[in-house]
Order: sequence, then C-alpha cells, then structure tokens
Amino acid sequence: MITFTIDGREVTAPENAMLVDAAKYGDVEIPVFCYEPKLGNPVGACRMCLVEIEGIPKLQTGCSTPAKDGMVVNTQSQRVKVAQQAVVEFLLVNHPLDCPVCDKGGECPLQDITFGWGAGTSRFIEPKRHFVKPLALSERIAIDRERCILCYRCVRFSQEISEDYQLVLVDRGAQSFVATFDGHPYEATFSGNIIELCPVGALTSRPYRFRARPWDIEDAGSVCTLCPSQCNVTLTVRDERVMRVLARENGEVDDGWLCDRGRFAYPALGGLPASAAALADAPPTATPGNGGGRITEPMIRDGGQLRVVSWERAMTEAVAGLRRAGARVGAIVGGQATNEEGLLLARLMREGAGSPHVDSRAAGTLARELHLALNEPRLQAKVSDLEFAHAVLVLDSDPIRDAPILDLRLRKGVRRHGMKLISATREELLRGPRELASKLGAEGEEIVVLWAERLTAGPDGDRAAAALLELAQALSLGDVDGGGLLEIPAHANGRGLREAGVLPNAGPGLADTSDTSDGNGVGRDATGIAQGLAAGELTALYLLQSDPLLEPAGRELWERALARAATVVAHASFLSEGVREHADVVFPSESYAEKEGTITHPDGRLQRLRPAVAHPGATRSEWSVIAELASRLGLDLEVLSGAMASAQLFETVPFYAGLTLEEIGGKGVRWQEREAAAAYPGREQLV
Amino acid sequence: MSASASGWDRPVDLEKDAAEIPDPDTTEVPVELRAEIEAYMGRYPDTRSATLPALEAAQRLHGWCSPQALEQVACVMRVTPAYLESVATFYDMLETTPVGRHAIYVCTNISCSLRGADALFAAVRDAAGAEPEEFNVRSFECLGACDLAPMASVDGVYVGPLSVDDVPRLLEDVRARRAVLPEKQLARRRVADPDANSREFPEHPPQEPAER
Amino acid sequence: MTEKLLFADIDEPGLNTLEVYERRGGYASLRKALAMTPEAVLAELEASRLRGRGGAGFQTGKKVSFLPKGSIETYLVCNADESEPGAFKDRELLQKNPHRLIEGIVIASHAAGARRSFIYIRGEYVLQATVLDAALEEARQAGFVGEDILGSGHTLSIVLHRGAGAYICGEETALLDSLEGKRGNPRLKPPFPANQGLYQGPTLINNVETLSTVPVIIDIGGARYAELGVETSTGTKLVSISGHVQRPGNYEIVLGTPAREIVYGLAGGPPEGREVKCWFPGGSSAPVLTAEDLDVSYDFDSLAKAGSMLGSGSIIVVDDSTPILDVALKVAKFYQHESCGKCSPCREGTNWTLKTLQRIERGEATPMDLEIMASVQTNIIGNCLCVLGDSMAMPIGSIIAKFKEELEAHMDSARLRPPGTLVSA
Repeated sequence: MITFTIDGREVTAPENAMLVDAAKYGDVEIPVFCYEPKLGNPVGACRMCLVEIEGIPKLQTGCSTPAKDGMVVNTQSQRVKVAQQAVVEFLLVNHPLDCPVCDKGGECPLQDITFGWGAGTSRFIEPKRHFVKPLALSERIAIDRERCILCYRCVRFSQEISEDYQLVLVDRGAQSFVATFDGHPYEATFSGNIIELCPVGALTSRPYRFRARPWDIEDAGSVCTLCPSQCNVTLTVRDERVMRVLARENGEVDDGWLCDRGRFAYPALGGLPASAAALADAPPTATPGNGGGRITEPMIRDGGQLRVVSWERAMTEAVAGLRRAGARVGAIVGGQATNEEGLLLARLMREGAGSPHVDSRAAGTLARELHLALNEPRLQAKVSDLEFAHAVLVLDSDPIRDAPILDLRLRKGVRRHGMKLISATREELLRGPRELASKLGAEGEEIVVLWAERLTAGPDGDRAAAALLELAQALSLGDVDGGGLLEIPAHANGRGLREAGVLPNAGPGLADTSDTSDGNGVGRDATGIAQGLAAGELTALYLLQSDPLLEPAGRELWERALARAATVVAHASFLSEGVREHADVVFPSESYAEKEGTITHPDGRLQRLRPAVAHPGATRSEWSVIAELASRLGLDLEVLSGAMASAQLFETVPFYAGLTLEEIGGKGVRWQEREAAAAYPGREQLV
Repeated sequence: MSASASGWDRPVDLEKDAAEIPDPDTTEVPVELRAEIEAYMGRYPDTRSATLPALEAAQRLHGWCSPQALEQVACVMRVTPAYLESVATFYDMLETTPVGRHAIYVCTNISCSLRGADALFAAVRDAAGAEPEEFNVRSFECLGACDLAPMASVDGVYVGPLSVDDVPRLLEDVRARRAVLPEKQLARRRVADPDANSREFPEHPPQEPAER
Repeated sequence: MTEKLLFADIDEPGLNTLEVYERRGGYASLRKALAMTPEAVLAELEASRLRGRGGAGFQTGKKVSFLPKGSIETYLVCNADESEPGAFKDRELLQKNPHRLIEGIVIASHAAGARRSFIYIRGEYVLQATVLDAALEEARQAGFVGEDILGSGHTLSIVLHRGAGAYICGEETALLDSLEGKRGNPRLKPPFPANQGLYQGPTLINNVETLSTVPVIIDIGGARYAELGVETSTGTKLVSISGHVQRPGNYEIVLGTPAREIVYGLAGGPPEGREVKCWFPGGSSAPVLTAEDLDVSYDFDSLAKAGSMLGSGSIIVVDDSTPILDVALKVAKFYQHESCGKCSPCREGTNWTLKTLQRIERGEATPMDLEIMASVQTNIIGNCLCVLGDSMAMPIGSIIAKFKEELEAHMDSARLRPPGTLVSA
C-alpha cells in the first residue's frame, strides 16, 4: 500500500493502482471513457481523466499514471476543470445529443460525465455529421455511429479479448468509424459484450432496444446456468420479466464477460417474446395452454395428448405412477438443477421409493474411487489458474463449446502472462500419460489440465480416468499451487449434482452407498436405467429438468426405454421431444431466473441462484414439488423453504459443512478452500 | 477518402457469414503475390510488420485494396480482412475504392499552394477528368518537395515547379508511358545551397584501429 | 565561415554509390567507431551535444544513454518519414548520400547495442527508397552491414520499410505502431520507446539528418563539432526554405545564423516588391513569426524564446500578397486530415477549427467565433495524446493572436459580399 494526497486528503491505496482507481480509495471520482481495466493496458485516448500532479508541468491521464507514495494529485483545480470541460465539449462536437430517444439514456456514462464535469453550455454551432441510424451490426447488435465517441472499447474487445478481430476502426481522424469488413456482420461468440462496454448509446442490443427505460427496471444478481461456465449475471427485470442479461464481474468465474448465448437466450427465462435470433439456442416449442413457449401449467397425458390440469391432479397422477413402480423407478437429473433439488430428488428415490437408480451423468458413471480421486480437493485447479499457469493442457475438450467463457481466460493467459497452451486428445492421453506429463513438465511446475467430462464417458471411461490420474501424479499436481485438474462437466451443475449425491454409486458428499441395507446399495447409471426400462426391469422414470433424447448419445436405447416406461414424470420448462412424446405427468419447471438455491462451479465454487422474477403461471419451486411428492409417498424431507433445503445440503455433504448462503454471497465460495474440505472422504488413500 | 462516406451509412448484410481469417483451401491467392508477401513476412521479427508492404503489393496487382485483394493478403498473413481494411483505410496511399491506373498526387499543402498549387490541381483534375480509368488525380498533403513548388508526384516521380501550362504535356507523357517532364524531375536537381559542393571533404590520414 | 559537413560533396556524381562514397572517405568513421568501445562512441556523441534534427531537439547522446543495458534485444529505428509541411532536407540526404546514413546507423547501433535496425521511409519517397535500397545492398555486400561487421563482432541488420502516406507516422510511437503493421496511432507515454518500443523492446529512434551527422562527429570528434554553432545548439543544420522566397531549397547553415540571413541572404527573400508577412521557422507546426522577428538567431533556444520553435528546420515564408486566412485554412485542413483520431481533443479540435475557419471564409462568422476558436486552441494544447493537436493549435493560435485585425476585417468584408454569395444570415 502507498499513501498519496488527492484533493488535499491523504489516501492509502494499493501500490501500482492507476490514479483513477487509487482515487476511489479517497472517494474521489476521476471520470473516464476509454479506461476499462478488463480490456488490458490503458490507452489514454479519450483524455477525460486528466489530472494535475505536483512536479509535472503537463496534466496527466489518471488512467495510465500509477499512484506513487507521496504523490500530490489535484482533480479539482481550475486547470483540471477547464481541461475536463474541454474534453467533454470535444466529445460532444459530433455527438447528436439525442438523449430523449436514446436507449442508453439514464444509464449513460456520457450523460453522467457531461452532467458532472461538462461546462453545461455548448459553443459548437457548426453542423454535426449525420448518418443513417441505427444500422444493424449483427442480428443482435445495432450501431449508431453518430453517437460514437471513438473510445476504442469495442474494437479493443474484439481485437484483444475475444481476439476475433472482426470489429475494427476504419478511416482516420474525425472520419474514423467502427466497422466490420466489407459489410459482414459481427458474429462471434462474445460479441454482445461490446454493448455493455459502450459508454454511449452507439452500440445497443436489438432485442432490448426500447423495451424499458432505466427507471422502469430493477437489477437482480444471479448465475447463468446455461453451461458449466456459470457466469455471474445481472438480470434486468421489468414487470416480472427478464428483459436483459448483463455480465456481473467475478474475477474467479467470468472476468466480467458473458457469452452471447448467456446474454441473448433470455427469452428462455420467460422474458421477452422470443425474437428469432435470440431463441436460436433455446428448444423450440409451442404448447397448448402453455403460451410463449414456456410450460407454466402442470399437464398430464390424456388420450395420448398432454393437457393442462391442476397441481392436485398432476400430483395425484405422479404419486399413483410412482407407487405402482415402487422401487422399479429410475431418476435422471438434468444439469440445470440445483444442488438442493438434486439432493432432495435423490432422497426421494433412495429413501422414498427405495430405488438407488439416480444419475446426473448422461453418459454413465465412473467407479466411485475414480470420482473420489478426480475430485480430490488438493488436485483441483481454479479458473484463475488457467491464466497464470505455466501451461494449460486442453484435454479432449473444446472450451469455446464446452464452457465458452474459459476460452477468453485461456486467451488472456497466453496473451498477457505467457501461458503455454497445449492440447491433446483422449487417444494421446491413453497412449502415454507419462509422455504427456514430460511434455507439460518442460513448461514449468504450474500446469492445469482442463478436461471435459466426455473424456471419462462411455465404456472406456474408467481407463481414461485412470490415465488422467496418472498424468496428474506424474506432474505432482496435488502438491502444486496454481496447477491441477479442472473438469468441464457435460452440464452446468454437473459437479454440484455429483457432490449432492446424484450418482448411482455415491451418496451426498460422494459417500459410499454400497453397503447400506435400506434397499439402496449401488444403483443403475443413466445407461443402466435406460436398459432397465427398455427391458421392463424398471417401469417408471423421473426426469428432473432432463430429456435423454437431447443427449448426444444413446438415442435409440432411450427411445425404446421411454416408449416402454409405464410412468414418466418430468419437470420441464419446454416441451422438448422426450417430454412431449413420452411424459405422463409434466410439472412446470423454473428457469434459473426464478430459482433459489446453490450450484457448484466446475472448480468447486458454490454459487447462489436468487429468484429475480416471480414464477410464471402455476410454476412452483422444484424443491417444493419434490417435497410434496415425497410427503405423499410417506417421506418427510423436512424442507419448508428454499433456505431450509440449502441448510440441509450443507449439513448432508460433509465437505460443505458449516456453509451458509450468506457466506456464499454474491461471489461464491470454493469449498476446497474451507476447513471442511478436510472431511472429503478417503483423502489419505489418494494421490 | 470516398470509401468512408459510404461506409458510414452501410448496414451489414445479415445474410453474410462473419469475416474470419480466410480459409486457405477456398481462397485463391496468385502465386507471385503469395511469394512476395511471404518474403516480406520473413523480414521482420513479427510477421504482422509485413502488413504495409503486403497491402502495397496487393494494390499493385489489383489496382486498389479491393475486398478480394484484402482477403488474399489476409489469407497469406493469417489475419482477418477487417484488420487489413482498418490499416488500409488509415493510409493515404492505399486506395480503398477503385481508382485510375496512374496516380497523380498534386501537392496542395501550404508551400505549394503559396505558389499556385490550387490552380494547378484544378487544372490537372479538369484535364484528366474525362479519363477516370487512366488517371487517379488527388490533391495531396505535403510531399516533401517544397523546393519544387508547385509540384506533383506522378506514379512516384516528383516533377516541379509546374505551371498550368505543363499539364497537357504531363498527361500526354503519362498516356504515352514515357518519362514525365524529364527536365522537371527532382532527380536532376542540384542542392540550392550555393556553398555546397564547394569544398573537398577534409582529408584525414587513415587511422590504425585503436586497441579495444 | 560556411561549414559544410553534410553538403560538402552532396552533388558529387555517383555519391550514392559505394565506390564514390568510399573514395570520398566514406565508411572511415565506421572503421574508427568499431575500433572504439560503445561507451567511447557514446562519449563522442555526448561531447558533440548534437540535438535531434527531427523536430524535438533532444540531445542524441542522452537518448542513446537512456537505453537499458543488458541482453534484451534492442532496436534502432531511423525515422525517414519526413512529412512536416515545409520539410524536405532528409529527402536530399536519402537520395544523394544514402551511405552516409547507413554508416551513421551502423555507428549508432554499435553505441546503442542494437543488432536490428529499420529505416521507416515515407511511402511517397519512391526514388529515395530505391536509391537507399541499392545502397543497402552494396553495404551488405561490402560487409558494412550484416554479421560481424568488419570483424568487429558487431552485427546489424537493416530493413528498409516503406510507409504508405500518413503524417502521424513521423511521430515516433506512431511510427513504431506502423512499423509493427498497425494503424499509425501514437502510443501512450510512458513507457518511452527507450524502454519499450518496437516489439516491446528498447528502441532508439533517430532522424535521418541526426544519424547522417554521426559519422561526421566520429570523424572530426565530438568536441570539435560542439565548437560549431552556439552553446545550446551545436553544429550545422540543414534548413529547408520554401514558400515566398526567390531561391527555395535546402541550405546547410551553422546554428545561430540570423534568420534574416537565411531568408534574405540565402533564399533571396520574397519576390520583388513583396514583404515578409509571416514565416514558420520550423515547419507548419511552429507558431508563426512576423517580419519583426527576422533578426532572431536561428537556433533551438532563441526560437523558443521568440515564441516559436526550430522543429525540423523548415522555414516557410508567406509574403503580403496572401490573406492570412488562406494560411490558417491550409494549416488547419492539413492537421484535420492527418489527425489519427485516437484522442478526442486533437480529433475533434482540428475538425472544429477547420469548420470554423471555413465558416469565416464564407462570411458567416463574427468576431466571437475568433474568440471561441482561440479558446479551442488553448483547450487542445497540452491535453492531447501526442503533439499533433498542438501542432495545429500553436500556429493557429499564433495566427489568431497576431493577425486578429486582418481576420476581423475579412469577416466584415465577406459579410458584405453581394447577396447570393451569402448563406442566409
């Protein structure tokens, strides 16, 4: 820490913090436009942050001048004020000042800074430039070039963060403008971030345009569950509908970025009426009685067709079906389910129905010892390790598809920290984990192996897992801070569901279930459940936000299984094929914007989902539906609220012990970094 | 730059795909252009330094930095065409709209303009106006030859001082593909300083290298 | 006494060839320098008190000494992007004495510990690039450039890099970006190129004339060189003089020569019957001076004291036949055209100034516009990322201050033009 003086006050700030950041420690705001630390080194282009520093004759840019011990800085002198007013005036020279009809109005840095630091009058009387506006920059983004103040943020994002280099500045000087090549649209995985980066109304979201003014909306923080990245988001809510999704910066998760799927697929959350583009990623449906695509009413199959019924009726049907099946029931929990939902459903199966057949891994499970070994706390890398490691091995994984946000982190590591990126296939691993280890070891000690769940899927999964462990051992990853294994599960909350006990061969906390005598023992995995159903050994299937027909493999088997199952109970938001054709009872399911509970990030970080909008239609919380079913089946799950479900999770999973929702807070907590991690089972016998 | 005027108002074509680094399998690049660009890339510690010479080479071949030319350069250099467009539009000598074959830059900056450059430019522009495919007449910023004011650069050859009367012959020389106004070419000019060249460079006895 | 160090044999036929250059004593300084330690070469440069000839006038020896010592790859870049309106002296050296420049580069690289160098020449200089390219090839063949030069152990590659038409690339950090294949945008400083320049490595950037002077200094000795000129401006300087003079061209003068001697004595002054109205002492970026200032000593500090600058040493003379508004318009239009657009005060300030001047020309302005324009210049100066904004604001500001009455008179008469030529009031 260093101490410097700003506007007459002594302020202590971190060493090397740029003045604009250091000033905040003294509650001094230095206005900025182009400065955005997420984009890398400051460029000093807008000149808004000019400050006076004693001993330096010229005004300096606060964005690029590190605070130094003993420095005396003035942001309020006449000289600085004149310069600030001048910069605002220059920026407004070609700005149309069309704030009344601008979507950014009310949340616009240019407005705020003009108000706070501008002269308040205008001396510019020359004609401003006029252009056709707005123009499409892509399906999702509109550009208004009149409003652009050429701060470079969007092009720096395209060039230095997502590195797609599609968005550039064309021409020179006052004629410069932001453009793509030869009229091509700006289509890239992370393109939507430029909307948030834009400090004026030049780049706006086409789906959000004119949907709400800032004073109509509320913000709600949550976590996106559309993929294992689990990016932190702020949901813009108006009249109980999600109108927009924004990034909510969490350095250990997303670095402040959000992919376009997470940003624009919000109609799936029960938000805006779907625009064709935004819905491209969401399952297409149209449900009688369930308007807008979302299922919001319970349904049962009646005469081969699903029809809307009351909760009571649906419950009765479900209970009857499950009773008939007894222990001959299997359950598949989808990756968007919370830890609590997984835990409760597993209890419903194991304790209520007496069936051990629960799974959350579509491709089948691994031996419990392998699960234990692969999840060993000391062996786990965290997201930021990807950035600072000496090398990262991307193993049988495609980050841009499996967990897009990690792709940005890897690029950042390579670009800014000289991280070496190496990739290998499953075959290369199986051929020689030792050789792979020596190749990686040559790059340094801190090695992260980023692997996808599919590596350990299928009949050969155990072998691949063993090879992976051999690789980890050869690199001593268990003993290296800043290195380790990082698995990208096949689904968003894959890790959390496993830890909550949604596995056929492990209970909550990956507990041993093999010798319990209450009708459980080791159950069938997903494939086993399908085989059991197809063979008539199982008769009922419980789907919690899961549709096996959407999985990449095993379709033929699942079609037979679903066709033969006597009872299929499904919690679902959309009528995907499996649900539409085979479910006998459909419970309307929550979107993540409505959910309350926790999920666990691939690196072990427990994160909180908080309800941002009310349940649409007759939708109820998943946990309450499961609890009621259990109760009707004679099992008291002892949950009366979402918070109680979380408390039960923290009590049940030994290495989550003592956690509270408050502790998890807005940024999450990695359980491996808490004392309770010592309760991880069988630590002594592992790597 | 005329490209900009249209660029401002041009929406993207949503039917098109994103413009990524061109696929070598589907992007045809003339062999000689590829060889020239690759040679430039080899000169620098960072291949991207070859951007300006590569664009210049593509312009020489295509007449201007057309989208196709940019795609070819992008394909060889493994960059996006947008990156090249961004660079090309920054520099005055790189043309981003189709232009005439012969570049005539008439300097209209201050020193030339004090000596009649604006009238000269107007005369050249008017005289060449009927042949847009033959001539690319541009009013240019200071070309660094104010001693020849007013002057022009004709396909890179500096000529001056020019008068309006020189214009027909200048254009005729270009059309005839012969040396332009040979007597007015910079290459033939001696330094103005009357005392230059007047003394021998002081002679010094050859020195033995000292011990290092 | 007229000392000719750079122009002594400038028009010698074939001087651009190695044969003639060597016959005239060329590359003797290189042999001498390579036999000296880098520190000794640097000491000679420092003793010469040579100030950079590109515009900023920073002491060359000091600049070299700022480079970090050690094993990091260090670069030397020769700035041959001569683009300042009124400047054409580097052109003369590049075209007629390329080996002198090459020799200077090799000597400077020896002092700086650089093993790679680049010459960034403006794209418009086609003839000069061709001549230099041929000279470089000769020098490589002769072993003056390349591996283990003359058995000294010093290695240097030189790459000739052509620009493509952008004034801003004469600014050293913009030049580096351009050389790296990017748009020529100036960089934020610090870091300065001496610490983080080309490809992030320590980089020494010098002008053609500066580097061409290096062999002279090694030849005659830094102390002897420093005896020429005046205390803070040593040596000789090439001056490009143009505009309303009878003998425009390049002259080699000893720094400290009275400006009047250059403008009238050497260049012959304005045409018969005309008077000097104003003159730019150091290219169009320099605040204008008037006829009253002609007795100023032509050196760095005296011109600064007179409220202007020596810059690259390019004098543009404007006589009393030219309306000052025309001069202001040309200046503003140039900088508006050449502003890279990266920082707001320069991008918008040059644009605003040009529009106001055009409105004055059209007769749609009032004296209040002059006040606003003057204040816009003040708002640009010192607030930009690089010096380009100031390069317009200083001359325009000086024109408004010194020729206010003429501009106001123009406004009056332009407003009184016959109806039809006016946009409605």
